[in-house]
Amino acid sequence: MRVVKWLVGTVTAAGLALAAPAQAQEEIVLGGSIPMTGVFAFAGVGIHAGIQDYVKIVNDAGGIKGRKIRYVFEDTAYKPDVSVAAFKKLTGSHKVSLYYGDSTAFSKTINPELERMGTILMAGASFATEINNPQKYPMQFMAGPDYSEQIGILLRYIAKEKPGARVAIVYSDSEFGRDPVEEFREQSKKLGLTVATEIMTPPGSVDVSTEVIKLRRASPDYTIFHGYVLAPIPQFVQQLKAAGSQTKFMGSFWTMDHSTVMKMGEAGDGFMGVMPYRYYYDDSAKAPMLEKIRQMRPEYQSTPYLQGFLTAMLLVEAAKRTLEAGKPLTGKNLKAALNSIKDFDTGGIIGVPITIKGNSIPVGRIYRADMKAQKMVPVSDWIHLD
Amino acid sequence: MRIGTAKETYFADEALFDTRTQRVWLLVLAALLAVFPFVASQYWLYLACLVAINVIAATGLNILTGYTGLVSLGQAAFMGVGAYTVAVLERRWGTPFLLNLLAGGAVAMVVGMVFGVPSLRVKGLYLAIATIAASFILHFIFANWTAVTGGTAGLTVPPANVFGLPLDSEFRSYWMIVPIAVLMVLGAANLFRTRIGRAFIAIRDRDISAEVLGIPLLRYKLLSFGIASFYAGVAGGLWAYFFRSVTPESFPLIMSIFFLACIIVGGMGTILGSILGAAFMTLVPEALKLVFGWLPNAEAMAVHLAPVRTMVFGALIVGFLIFEPHGLAEMWRRVRRFFHLWPFRT
Repeated sequence: MRVVKWLVGTVTAAGLALAAPAQAQEEIVLGGSIPMTGVFAFAGVGIHAGIQDYVKIVNDAGGIKGRKIRYVFEDTAYKPDVSVAAFKKLTGSHKVSLYYGDSTAFSKTINPELERMGTILMAGASFATEINNPQKYPMQFMAGPDYSEQIGILLRYIAKEKPGARVAIVYSDSEFGRDPVEEFREQSKKLGLTVATEIMTPPGSVDVSTEVIKLRRASPDYTIFHGYVLAPIPQFVQQLKAAGSQTKFMGSFWTMDHSTVMKMGEAGDGFMGVMPYRYYYDDSAKAPMLEKIRQMRPEYQSTPYLQGFLTAMLLVEAAKRTLEAGKPLTGKNLKAALNSIKDFDTGGIIGVPITIKGNSIPVGRIYRADMKAQKMVPVSDWIHLD
Repeated sequence: MRIGTAKETYFADEALFDTRTQRVWLLVLAALLAVFPFVASQYWLYLACLVAINVIAATGLNILTGYTGLVSLGQAAFMGVGAYTVAVLERRWGTPFLLNLLAGGAVAMVVGMVFGVPSLRVKGLYLAIATIAASFILHFIFANWTAVTGGTAGLTVPPANVFGLPLDSEFRSYWMIVPIAVLMVLGAANLFRTRIGRAFIAIRDRDISAEVLGIPLLRYKLLSFGIASFYAGVAGGLWAYFFRSVTPESFPLIMSIFFLACIIVGGMGTILGSILGAAFMTLVPEALKLVFGWLPNAEAMAVHLAPVRTMVFGALIVGFLIFEPHGLAEMWRRVRRFFHLWPFRT
């Protein structure tokens, strides 16, 4: 009998000894549908590097409560059906708790599945206003202001700089382009600005000569572009400047990468836009996390890189808070943990402490292109929409 | 032709599957399809459903382009019509999914026939350009008829229901999508044993001669558009149930080109070509991901390997077009002939 007890005891002890490190080693998996090819590849490559780097920083520091983060990803070519395939593949082969999605279409398509699974917190490349609805999208969030909020930040800046200014919006005929138009009208009215004109262009159009004439006739003080990455913004800017227009041009997040704006050439000097994050080279204030990024990657890193980096930071922070509260990593717990983030320091990536009440972070700052210095320079303080 | 399959009746001569070997293999395939969901992972089930949806749409396009000789670049837009019809019916009235799918097919059929009218006057590239108009006009309607389509934000679709059981997972969706795909493919195969199907082929081979032979071009060309669009509508309806979200950007022009590529790679004017082409175009990019994943240091090299993979896929398509212009179906036939005649040379 004693021998049996001894044997049971030994086996149990051995089992525990083996199991304990195994449990401690259990990784937290961050999955990603990443557009490394296709029309959004310029952003996907940066996003991928940003997530990779943040995961490396966390893992080098010992992980979260001894658990390492594992980043697994698939290329999606920015096609929603391929993104869903990637999601199925990754969630089928790993116990994924955190996820990065690549598009609004994917965020909307996968939402019922996220709710059904109830085990994943997701963020991604979409800043669609529709996603910023915690009731409808309870397991998702975005690492910045939604498109309506981005336009709101721009209008707030305009109203302060030139009260009663005439504003115009030029947007693409796409879900992305049309997203903030309603809010543009409402906010303009609320802030005492005059809507000079609204111009919609077909997606991918580059011949915008008739739209340029229309915009010139409306003579706005500020023209906001939304729903584009680059084309046809340079065409508008160059033609209007050549025609002597005094309007000031502005863009939203996906237009605002340094390399994108610099492609506008001399005509792009003074181009402004809303940025939720500091630029890689912005050393106007102390930013330890940016310092770390610069040490890891001495060459310029794009704004999508920072978006990926910050998204990974917030996803991991949600996981950390959930585990610290002794709760399992479920979608609901992770989201609750995310929403407990109050006055959080992002290490200077966002210049002010952030609080995440719903599905977005309604903070941004206006940057302006200085073509002589070949830099984007801040022209406003951080603007917070309440 | 298979050796030793002498036909004794006209019925036997017309049979879709004319040999015992063929029937046995089909039974094996049916058994495999039935067992597949019980052994496959969620990922493979997802891909199977996606292939089945693409097979339906490609089969429809093959009826129009491969069999009737009318080039269309509107197949994705007609899928959109089916998807929106299903989404609206399911959301507003919660009607049974089979009825919704039929309605989706029917509405797409009517719309397809309207856009098929130019086919009476123009052919080839000119018709392709005319059908592109369908893409643009329908996209505009999807994006702007907000009261019905939900505008640019689109519509979310509740899952299909069978006796109160929601088909909300890949496993459950498989049992809706794959049997419908099988039925639609069988329907298409049977179509070419009828006067209608043969009239389509006659129109493709020489439309003036077909008319001389007593085939009214107006009726049959529009019918071909109608049937192709019906297939697209049903595929779109299944797409809506499967992805549960329909937006104007869900069915872009590039998707129509994708279906055209499916039937060219698979084999124009063959039902098997639609199946093989849709499977090839859907699965090869995924298979390439798998193969590239086995390369040493693949994860670290992902940024560089991803575009290479896309290029390999493109090269494969070009390779097929050069070395096998009759498509995968012809390759399949050659392999089959080899086994039929073995040990003799083909």
